[in-house]
Amino acid sequence: MTVVQTVLVFVGIPAGIIAVIALAVYGKAIVRQPNRYRPGKTWDYPGAWYVPHPEAVVARPSTGSTTTAVGGASGEW
Amino acid sequence: MSGEITRAPSRELQEGPQGDAPAGGAFTARQLSRLDEALTLSSRETGLTFSVYVGEFKAPARAHAEALFERLDDGSVLVAVSPAQRLLHIVTGPESAKRLPNRACALAALAMRASFANGDLVGGIVTGLRMLADAAGTH
Repeated sequence: MTVVQTVLVFVGIPAGIIAVIALAVYGKAIVRQPNRYRPGKTWDYPGAWYVPHPEAVVARPSTGSTTTAVGGASGEW
Repeated sequence: MSGEITRAPSRELQEGPQGDAPAGGAFTARQLSRLDEALTLSSRETGLTFSVYVGEFKAPARAHAEALFERLDDGSVLVAVSPAQRLLHIVTGPESAKRLPNRACALAALAMRASFANGDLVGGIVTGLRMLADAAGTH
């Protein structure tokens, strides 16, 4: 085998295999960047408040314009 | 279910990503529809009004979450999440606290934290809403 052939067989083929596996693993993420949060990543989207569909909500007689917080829980991650 | 998120009718709440048009928005259309389904189902099941706030808290965070809650009604439950500050707050009112003791909220918060720490923001919110709805029971 010439030097070129040796390099192709012992470097080229492993590199090719590694490239195929890497593409299979990360390819999808490279092509289409998923809109995904990761802890520690910045989050600079404006605040948004999501409420259920009005027809899913039981109408309550309004007791005034505001209410007060009574309980709940908090946490951090 | 149309997959559209209904926005709260307050001035400040209308800022941010619009419904299912996520151009540059925080969530993809698929994520928004999951969020919408969880919100609507848990509200319909329990008769409580669940809402989800995703955004930054002004310090002190708990006071800000409670101030947000004060715009809702007595039977509301607010799940407020700040991904940037890695904080979450669940706030209940006079009516909803009877159905949802703080213990149940803490359990939901714990499950949400686990998902958030894995980077699954929408999954955590959906899990939290399901747990809260289960704890509150049907009306």
